[in-house]
Amino acid sequence: MRSDFFASSKGSAQKIFDPRTKLLMVVTISTVVMADSGGGWMSVLCWILTFVPLALFLIERKWKAALIYFCVYWGATLMQLYLLPLTTGVVNFLLVAMSFFSVRFMPGIAMASYLVNTTTVSEFMGAMERMRVPQSLSIPLSVVFRFFPTVSEEYTAIGDAMRMRGIRFGGRKPAKMIEYRLVPLLVSCVKIGDELSAAALTRGLGAPIRRTNVCEIGIKPQDVFTMAVCAAMILLFIFEKI
Amino acid sequence: MKNERMNAKDLMTVGLFTAIIFILSMAAGMLGFIPILIPFLTVIVPLLCGIPFMLFLTKTKKFGMITIMGTLCGFLLGIMGMGVYWVTATGIIAGFCADLIFRSGNYASAKKGVLSHAVFSQWAFGSMIPIVVTRDAYFAKLINGGYGEEYANALMRYVPDWSLIPILVAGFIAGIVGALIGKAVLKKHFVRAGIA
Repeated sequence: MRSDFFASSKGSAQKIFDPRTKLLMVVTISTVVMADSGGGWMSVLCWILTFVPLALFLIERKWKAALIYFCVYWGATLMQLYLLPLTTGVVNFLLVAMSFFSVRFMPGIAMASYLVNTTTVSEFMGAMERMRVPQSLSIPLSVVFRFFPTVSEEYTAIGDAMRMRGIRFGGRKPAKMIEYRLVPLLVSCVKIGDELSAAALTRGLGAPIRRTNVCEIGIKPQDVFTMAVCAAMILLFIFEKI
Repeated sequence: MKNERMNAKDLMTVGLFTAIIFILSMAAGMLGFIPILIPFLTVIVPLLCGIPFMLFLTKTKKFGMITIMGTLCGFLLGIMGMGVYWVTATGIIAGFCADLIFRSGNYASAKKGVLSHAVFSQWAFGSMIPIVVTRDAYFAKLINGGYGEEYANALMRYVPDWSLIPILVAGFIAGIVGALIGKAVLKKHFVRAGIA
C-alpha cells in the first residue's frame, strides 16, 4: 500500500471510467443529492442517483463496501419512515440528526470512496494534468487522497498501542488523551510524508519538464455517456432552483 | 529564499497537513449531530487543529502554501455537502490572509504564527453563512429535507442573525488558544523528536 504512490496500476482492477468522469460523478452526486430540498420530481431523480454508488461497488466487486452502503442508507431511510414519528425530545433530536446525516451524506461519501479506492494516485495525477490543473493544486490534492487511508490506518494502530497500555477515551484526563493520540499520529504521518516525497522526487515529480504517464486514461464511450448524464442532472438542478 | 517558488516537496507537505487538518475537523464536526453544538464547532476545531498547524508552519517558508491549504480544505468541505461556493470562498480568503500575516513575520515569527492560525481557523466559517444570509430558504430546506421542524427550530434559535460576529470572535480567540497549545506541544514533543 505504502509503496505504490505513483505506481501505474493496482493489480487487476478494472478501469471502467476515466478518473475525470469519476470526479464529475462525485461532484454531481454531492451537489444534487445533498442540496435536494425534498418534494417534486427532482427528489425522485435524487433517489435514483443514490443507487449509482451501490451499482458501481457491485460492478467493481467491492462486496463489503456495497453491503455497508446499502445497510446504512436503507437503515437510515427506514428509521426515518417508521421510527421517527414514535419518538420525541432528545431521542428524536439524536435520531433525526443521525438518520438524516446518513441519508444526505452517505451517497456522496460512498461515491468519494469509490473514487479513492478505484483510482491510483498516478492515474489521478494524469487526469489532473490533462485537465490542465496547475501542479500547485494537483499535487497537494493527490497527496490528500493518498493520505486519507494512511491517516486512519495509523490512527487505528496508535489506538491499539494505547489500549494495550491502558490509555483510553473516557479516562480522567481528556486533554492528555488528545495529546497521546495526536502527537504520535503527527510524528508518523510526517515521517511517511517525507518518505513519500523522496520517492516522488526520484520519479521526476517537480522536474521542470512535463511528465509522461504510463496509465491508460482516456475518454471512452461510457465516459461520454456518464458525463452527459451528469451534466444533464446539474442543468436540471439549476433549472429547478430558478 | 523569500521569493523562491514552491517546489514539489513543499506541495506534498501542504497535501499531508491538509489531510490531517481536514480529518481532524471532520472528526470534531461529527459533534454537529447535536444541534446545540454546531456554533461551538468553530471553537472546538481550532483548539484541536492548533497542533498540526503550528507543526505545518515550521515547514512553511514560501508564500502560497497556507493559501493552497485553505483552498483545498474549503473545497473538500464543500464537496462533503456544506455548500461549495461559500466554504471555498472563505477557505481561500482565510488562507490568503493567514499567508500574508505569516509572511510579514518573515516565516519565523512565533507571534505572527499564532495570529496566522487564528485567521486561518476561519476557513470553515463559510458553512455558517447560508444559515444567516439565506435564513428562510435554509429553514425551508431543513424542514422539507426532512430534518424535522423540531431540529430546524432548535438550530435557528441557537443561531440568530447577530450570532455570526460572536462566532467569528470566538473562533478567533480559540484559534489563538489552539495555536498557543500547539506551540507548547511543538516544544515539548516535536522539537525534541527532531521533526519540527
